[in-house]
Amino acid sequence: MGRMIGILVVSLAVVLGVNWFLDSYIDQYVVRVINMCGISIILAVSLNVINGLCGQFSLGHAGFMAIGAYVSAWFTTTLRYFDEAQAKYVAIEPMFSSQWGFVPALIVGGIAAAIAGAVVGIPTLRLKGDYLAIATLGFGEIVTIMITNFETIGGANGLPGLPAYSNTFWIFAFVVIVVMFSWYLQRSTFGRALIAIRENELAAEVMGISASRMKVMAFIYGAFFAGIAGGLLGHLLQTISPATFNFMKSIEVVVMLVLGGLGSMTGAIVGAIVLTALPEALRDVESEIGLVGVRMVAYALVLILLMIFRPQGIFGQKELSLKLLGRLIPGRKSGNAGGEE
Amino acid sequence: MRTALTLLIALGAVLALSLTACKKEDNSAGTSGVTDDTVKIGLFVSTTGDYATFGGDTKNGVDLAVEEINAAGGINGKKIDLKFQDTASKPEEGGSAAVKLATQENVLVAMGAVASGISLSAAPVFQKNGIPMISPSSTNPTVTQQGDQIFRICFLDDFQGAACAVFARKDLKKEKAAILMNQDDAYSTGLGKFFKAKFEKLGGKVVAEESFKAKTSEFNTQITNIKNANPDIIFVPAYYNDVALIGKQFRSQGVDVPLLGGDGWESGKLIPNAGPGTLDGCYFGNHYSQADDREVVKNFVANYKKKYGEAPSSLAALGYDDVYVAKKAIENAGAFDRAKIREALANLKDFEGVTGKFSIDENRNARKPISMLKIEGEKFNLVRQIQPGEVE
Repeated sequence: MGRMIGILVVSLAVVLGVNWFLDSYIDQYVVRVINMCGISIILAVSLNVINGLCGQFSLGHAGFMAIGAYVSAWFTTTLRYFDEAQAKYVAIEPMFSSQWGFVPALIVGGIAAAIAGAVVGIPTLRLKGDYLAIATLGFGEIVTIMITNFETIGGANGLPGLPAYSNTFWIFAFVVIVVMFSWYLQRSTFGRALIAIRENELAAEVMGISASRMKVMAFIYGAFFAGIAGGLLGHLLQTISPATFNFMKSIEVVVMLVLGGLGSMTGAIVGAIVLTALPEALRDVESEIGLVGVRMVAYALVLILLMIFRPQGIFGQKELSLKLLGRLIPGRKSGNAGGEE
Repeated sequence: MRTALTLLIALGAVLALSLTACKKEDNSAGTSGVTDDTVKIGLFVSTTGDYATFGGDTKNGVDLAVEEINAAGGINGKKIDLKFQDTASKPEEGGSAAVKLATQENVLVAMGAVASGISLSAAPVFQKNGIPMISPSSTNPTVTQQGDQIFRICFLDDFQGAACAVFARKDLKKEKAAILMNQDDAYSTGLGKFFKAKFEKLGGKVVAEESFKAKTSEFNTQITNIKNANPDIIFVPAYYNDVALIGKQFRSQGVDVPLLGGDGWESGKLIPNAGPGTLDGCYFGNHYSQADDREVVKNFVANYKKKYGEAPSSLAALGYDDVYVAKKAIENAGAFDRAKIREALANLKDFEGVTGKFSIDENRNARKPISMLKIEGEKFNLVRQIQPGEVE
């Protein structure tokens, strides 16, 4: 526990340093892409707990994001809406009007999403595989439809004017947190129980694992961080709309997982970085060739080729570790590269 | 533990590696984006994804205008170097495209986007970097409220909805209106909302208000409800593909009341999709009319047809006007200086464009007329233009 806090503090300090470095020396565009990668990492790693570890195929991640984004925006943003009775625009001042309110707002957003996660988790007690995927897809649709019909938060128009609170520090602070938590979770009793459920639910039950409780917990955990990612994205783009969180967004996150290797956290991280940075990197190629749409074709091609030649994803179910790296370096025995433990 | 550490180190390494390649450029000077003989102008629209047709048309219009201007010697002797970025119909990509144009490309002025959601994610970026952004066709009122660098050259949904109501009430003398809108689309619900407010203010009555979900193809329930309310005009603020289906289903249920709509109706595919005669006698508001006999419209339509082999849509016309507005602003500013260009844009008066003669008002929106068109056979004939003054 002590060591965990130590690592957390050290990595947050590193993130702070990186944030300063990026702000002072690096092109804003590169910073933006890095930030988008960070948000994707949070999404992919949190979905990996539901889809990868627990084996519950969820397509509801965009719905959790939407809840997190809108709930956090509710606390930080001046809401302007058209009041039919008065026939004019009315403004509601935000509850937290300074940068200090950002993290509390994000956390509240995450909690709201986690509650939704618990609600969605319950049908998973009865549904499996494709049926669950469709049920979670339905959940995502319900969320966007509800937002669409809620005038105070902008309805179908979306909610503009979110303050620009997201920066590299906050995004990567949450990346560090989700990566660390998920890492410990994977090796904890809880994580092992999730894997047991994925491999054989009946056998897991026989071993005394309460599968229903574990599945709901996995949904709560994944939804919480999806909500945080939604809040971070909203305060980065400074505008959110129901269309941003449609089911395509959920599918994007699933694709990141599948690309990296379902069940591997390292895979989730790599998948998130590749699929976020690749379309951006291809922008220059597109303007160089001058052929519109090349970017999306290349992106799709990468996915197709990968699925043909490496259907288990880049990492399969493996994790990247110093052990693995050590094995790649000739003349060194595996295992003595990492130092302690 | 070891792996956790490795992950963090790897993460840091990836970050560090990705950074070394790119150094920050200083773009604080207001004249950036300009070389001895070129001036960089940015364009960001969606040429892939859901809005690809809209973005593609806009880009065609922009390309045509840039070609014309460069052939005629450029802006104050400098040729336009158009920097284009695709926004893939996603707000996230719109944000990234905007940052790329604002910082790496360092454009003098930016143009885009079509969809308001994407303009909204790009606007804060250009505002922060002090770069004037001129949206050709984002109609959401909040777009230009994002800052004093953000302009638009199309009319707004509130004007459009209200103008349709004025047209229905005063020109067509209709009393009972029904509204059928797409509940998932801000454009559609916005028009419906403003139409209703104005129509009722002018003494009319909205007898039915129905909505449908995006990508629906069956409207029988809504049509039956509207039929039972017995309106004498039906306002359908939707896009042409929906309108074609809706028109057909209204007619097959024996409702022959005229339909009325906004600029979303405009498409060469409207009549072929709906079938001949279905929409005869229906009306819609549009940004311009191809039949307009002003010189600038005639030239535009002829040149566009020559280059692309098809009639220009409103979005193409707005894209075309967007470039000329930027040109005019740079010329009025008298310098390739962003602050001065912003001033010139804010004070733009009586600009003679394809989409009408317009000025920029104090909210950085265009104050311009709407052309009400009547569908007769395959043709969209101009009934009249409604000026902003008539609606207020």
